[in-house]
Amino acid sequence: MTATPERRSTRQLARPDLPRFDTEELDPPTREALSGLLLTMADDEFVLGFWDSEWTGIAPMLEEDVAFSSLAQDEIGHARLLFEMLAQLRGSDADDLAFGRTADEYRHCRLLDHPRTDWAFSVARRWLYDTADAVRLGALRRSGFVPLAQIVEKIRREETYHLMHMDVWMRRLAQGGEPRERLEVALASLWPDALSVFAPLPEEDLLIEAGILAAPMSGLADRHYEQLRGVLSSLGLTVPEPRPSSQDGRDRAKPSESFRWLWGEFTMVHRLEPGATW
Amino acid sequence: MLADDTTGPLGQPGPAAGPAAKPKPAPSSEGGSDPAGRLGDGAQPDIWEVFRQEKDGDPMRHAGNVRAPDRDLATHYARELYARRQESVRLWIVSRLDITDLSDPDLLQPPLDRTFKKPGGYVMRDKLDAARKRAAGANDGDDGDEGGGLGASA
Repeated sequence: MTATPERRSTRQLARPDLPRFDTEELDPPTREALSGLLLTMADDEFVLGFWDSEWTGIAPMLEEDVAFSSLAQDEIGHARLLFEMLAQLRGSDADDLAFGRTADEYRHCRLLDHPRTDWAFSVARRWLYDTADAVRLGALRRSGFVPLAQIVEKIRREETYHLMHMDVWMRRLAQGGEPRERLEVALASLWPDALSVFAPLPEEDLLIEAGILAAPMSGLADRHYEQLRGVLSSLGLTVPEPRPSSQDGRDRAKPSESFRWLWGEFTMVHRLEPGATW
Repeated sequence: MLADDTTGPLGQPGPAAGPAAKPKPAPSSEGGSDPAGRLGDGAQPDIWEVFRQEKDGDPMRHAGNVRAPDRDLATHYARELYARRQESVRLWIVSRLDITDLSDPDLLQPPLDRTFKKPGGYVMRDKLDAARKRAAGANDGDDGDEGGGLGASA
């Protein structure tokens, strides 16, 4: 399961987007808190990327197929960057983080714990997630941990575009008829998890003290809810009350059976020959 | 994308003949009717032609087309199909409805001999050689560009 040193050095060269930084810059508790945050972000992007890549070949139109698959690839790219940063903080390997964990060790939010379902569901889910992600990235833009602020700025440039794409689809589906009905069903079933991106992190106080994160997760959840409310009501869609984050940690733990299946798919090759060099 | 693509997503030649292969109404030879028609009239309002610029200063070249129900999605699709690998610095996305189509053979391929309109009718080689020699002689030991005009126009 251990990667060879040669492999690691090659991988470092192939990561021009990751700024160089000194891990010792952060005291161990802050480093651990930051690792926790990065893991949730990386897992969110990684898992969404794999769910949405399931549309490759079967999206409603050829153009959307290419576009949606490209968006999914973008998420994998963001996850790669975040896993690389995390690996450097922890002295581990990004591939092992991405593919070498058991399904129970993933920390994606519950919003991303559902299967692809139908097109309206995937649109609604991605729109909910992209809206949340924009808020989260906004809160890290001026992070006191400068390398994080730098990669967040790059990720934001792509995510802004993703959100625009999803806004177009939300407006289209909400126009009426069967698409609107399906969208309503999807939003209703996703709503309990809509704010799960902002499930509180165990050590987020440390991150706020260190100036790494601009606001507590609960504050970001409020901001996110206000944005959802604005768009949903402009489309004449139901705006349910916000569901407070569960205290049992379920928002980012104990993955569903659907996720276990997805995990089996995306780790399949890695598990064939752990530690193999490609 | 369309079956009648002239170019594929990354400028590769497409599989089939270009739009010219489609049947078109015969141009009218009577009255003062406009010989150029709107390309999109009737058939395919959801098709957008995409032009791309590879680097700053290059001309915009036709990249291909996308099918999209509105301008917003056309823009998103053009970006993903013709720029997702950072191969473009600018795109133009044009609805086919806005394209004026001119393919009237009476205007573009007139039946009378037109070779007198082509520069190939004049044999320039010997004259140019002589002019270059003269220019070279005039410039001996001199960095000036006297006589360079003829050489430059070759």
